[in-house]
Amino acid sequence: MTNLFVRKATGLVRSWSVFDAFIYALFSINLITLGLYIFSQMYFFEGGMVSALIVSAVFIFFEVIVYAALIAVMPRSGGDYIWQSRILGGAVGFILAVTGWWFILWLWVPLYGDMFRHIVLVPILGVLGLREAALWFAGTQHGAFTSSLLTLAIVSVIVALGMKTYARIQKFSFYGGMLGLLIVIVLLLTGSNAAFRDGLEANATSMFGAQPGVYEATTALGTNAGAITPFSGGPFLAILLLIPYMVFFNLWPNWGATLYGEVRGATDFKRNISGMGWALAGTTVLGIILLFAISRTIGWDFYMQANGAWWNYAWALSTDAPALPFWPYPALLAAFLTTNKLLQFVVVALMSLWWFGWSGTVFLSSTRVIFAAAFDRLLPEKVAEVDERTGTPVYALLMMTLPSIVIAFLYNYNIANFYSLTLCSTLVIAVTFLGTTIAAIILPYKKPDLYNASPIAKYKILGIPLITVAGVIFGSFLVFLLYEWILDPNALYGIGYSINENGYKNGTSIIYMLANYALAALIYFGFKSARKREGIDLDKVHAEIPVE
Amino acid sequence: MTKLFFATDIHGSDICWSKFLNAGKFYEADVLILGGDMTGKAVVPFIHQGGKNYRVTLLEQVFDITTDDELQDLVKRVRSRGYYPYMTNADEIAELEKDPERVHQIFGNEVLKVMQQWMDLADKKLDGTDLKVYCCPGNDDMSEVDAIVRSSRRVLLVEGQVTPLDEIHEMIASGWSNRTPWDTHREEDEDQLAARYEAMISKLYDPRNAVFNIHVPPYKSSLDEAPELDKDLRPKMAGQALKPVGSTAVRKAIEAAQPLLGLHGHIHEGRGATRIGRTLCINPGSMYEQGTLLGALVKLGGNKIENYVLTTG
Repeated sequence: MTNLFVRKATGLVRSWSVFDAFIYALFSINLITLGLYIFSQMYFFEGGMVSALIVSAVFIFFEVIVYAALIAVMPRSGGDYIWQSRILGGAVGFILAVTGWWFILWLWVPLYGDMFRHIVLVPILGVLGLREAALWFAGTQHGAFTSSLLTLAIVSVIVALGMKTYARIQKFSFYGGMLGLLIVIVLLLTGSNAAFRDGLEANATSMFGAQPGVYEATTALGTNAGAITPFSGGPFLAILLLIPYMVFFNLWPNWGATLYGEVRGATDFKRNISGMGWALAGTTVLGIILLFAISRTIGWDFYMQANGAWWNYAWALSTDAPALPFWPYPALLAAFLTTNKLLQFVVVALMSLWWFGWSGTVFLSSTRVIFAAAFDRLLPEKVAEVDERTGTPVYALLMMTLPSIVIAFLYNYNIANFYSLTLCSTLVIAVTFLGTTIAAIILPYKKPDLYNASPIAKYKILGIPLITVAGVIFGSFLVFLLYEWILDPNALYGIGYSINENGYKNGTSIIYMLANYALAALIYFGFKSARKREGIDLDKVHAEIPVE
Repeated sequence: MTKLFFATDIHGSDICWSKFLNAGKFYEADVLILGGDMTGKAVVPFIHQGGKNYRVTLLEQVFDITTDDELQDLVKRVRSRGYYPYMTNADEIAELEKDPERVHQIFGNEVLKVMQQWMDLADKKLDGTDLKVYCCPGNDDMSEVDAIVRSSRRVLLVEGQVTPLDEIHEMIASGWSNRTPWDTHREEDEDQLAARYEAMISKLYDPRNAVFNIHVPPYKSSLDEAPELDKDLRPKMAGQALKPVGSTAVRKAIEAAQPLLGLHGHIHEGRGATRIGRTLCINPGSMYEQGTLLGALVKLGGNKIENYVLTTG
């Protein structure tokens, strides 16, 4: 029986495709870029990699519920910034949004650049026979910095192209990247360890100039580096300790979904959960399959040892250069299983689409936050200007690129120990997510009218709103992560001020993160004061107008 | 100098209308301007089950009402989202399913009933104040709405007119839009829109100090970015693919006349401000379903905008 009559009116659209939402969320938790990059740094743990992958995904599913619920209650609002501003206040909303969605993205640029050289430049140049260029990018600071600059150029072009074009690039990259991954998995599952060792020896020496005996040398260096992380298993606590690393990769399913139709009900809530949830589950399953395939043919111990050898040298924990003169990229290692040069090129080229389909995310969120802050008059009007001819937000882009160049320089040349800041990139965004999660927990109590009129008001667990229950679970998970990162009792992460006497006291990291928050506070209170003098009361701008 | 508050696309939300009427006092504005699309998009049947019992499906959740208090509470909740509650029974619903013309009629009656309540409320609330209130129905508003607005003592209908805001500033206004996939009440081709605007612009004393209150935003202004749709009106690429859907006629009119200010709406997710030449163009966006009144507060100066801010009320 009909339960709703709608008329023809602007904006009344039908449901979007869950599969499309799945694609964009899948690219946000990108197995090949973020996943393989961070797995490679997790070589010194006692807990199993696959076990940590599964346990972290379970906790992150509650993040999916929290964000899908907030989207259902306050759609088309602009995400974290507005949710936090409305529920926690303007200052908290601004400071957490600009640090988590803008400032910290400056640090992500050299990380995207690092992945660009390891996943795109080095494999393609190597397979094309351009050994010197490949080695320059793989093993020099100039190469790494150039890779960051190229990344900046590419993502600037993506911003100029706009969301419509980039959405198409992403979809093409999804199908191409998936085909590449399928070939990699087939190569690994149909190959043998003996064939891999032969292929590694032949290709690493011919393509990259490695010394003969590269397998044995890597094993020895990796063992000395303390590469011990098992494929799976281990005590539960040991598994939990991998997660503050793991979330660098899989904390982001919420980046893909902000859509919610007008005059639509709980179906759209479920669609958002499905899109993000299936992406999380799909990526986890793909990760398990890929890691199993690596373990079967490359050998798990060798893979971890190769990673240990690479990062121990990169982090200056050892002066022994790795025997493999390139980052142990599983797709390239899988390509060594074939002698067909064309197939090798096809594999690394298709797999590079995982980077191209994802790289735009580094600036798209930042430009939105910069624009939103400018509309709220917390930044000069100029920063929201768009070039009429190209449609490019020139000033917003400059506010992203110029600081990014400075941070990329500090990072790639490891000035003031900046190379140790990798996990800060995740910590600062996790703090922003914690703000949003707290807003979600208290939403039904602080804004009961808004919540009760929403399509999720009926979802309760033991009489408590689902959004609150999911928020408490995900919030507790975030608090655990922050405790481990900042106080680091087991001296594992290197970005906090460890309470372990022998732990690492990373002053650069602490100062860098505090500087981000101080800058955000300075901008907020500075502009608020300046606007007050101009007759604009910013407190009133976010305050609710009385109804009666 | 005049301080104006502009909001738009409140689509039948009682809460947003009340907030709009209170915005003058809250923001200390001299003039209130409501852009188009005042009317709601959905009717929610309250199906009588006998006695005081009703069954209502709101946002795909079924509510079984058994008391007067529950009934009042749910009516308020439905109205807060901009939908229209309609008391009915299972037999009538079965007939309505076969009779779209009758549904259309019910829709019209509910829309006009609420519009009349809104105008009555405005007259009551604004009596004894100096506040000027202008409105201009949008492409989603049926033509019968105009007569009800005209009947108000305090709310002035300004469609197609040049309205003096103060000694320096005049405003032109139109709720008509370019063509949409929904074939709405007030839409036409770009050349017809251009003629409509020109008829008003030609009467302006000083176009460079004018306010263009035009519902549809200028094409490619970033205020007009909406999810790209397929032929079945489904968002492509899960809504990630955005495209400009504004009016080229509005853009050309602004480029040629270079007024002080453009006030726009229509695209709810297009919240923002931008410049076309010297003209500041604003689309405050809309969150009517959440009862949040998005708006813009603008202080007009001689030949310039003194300041402005987008608000979330």
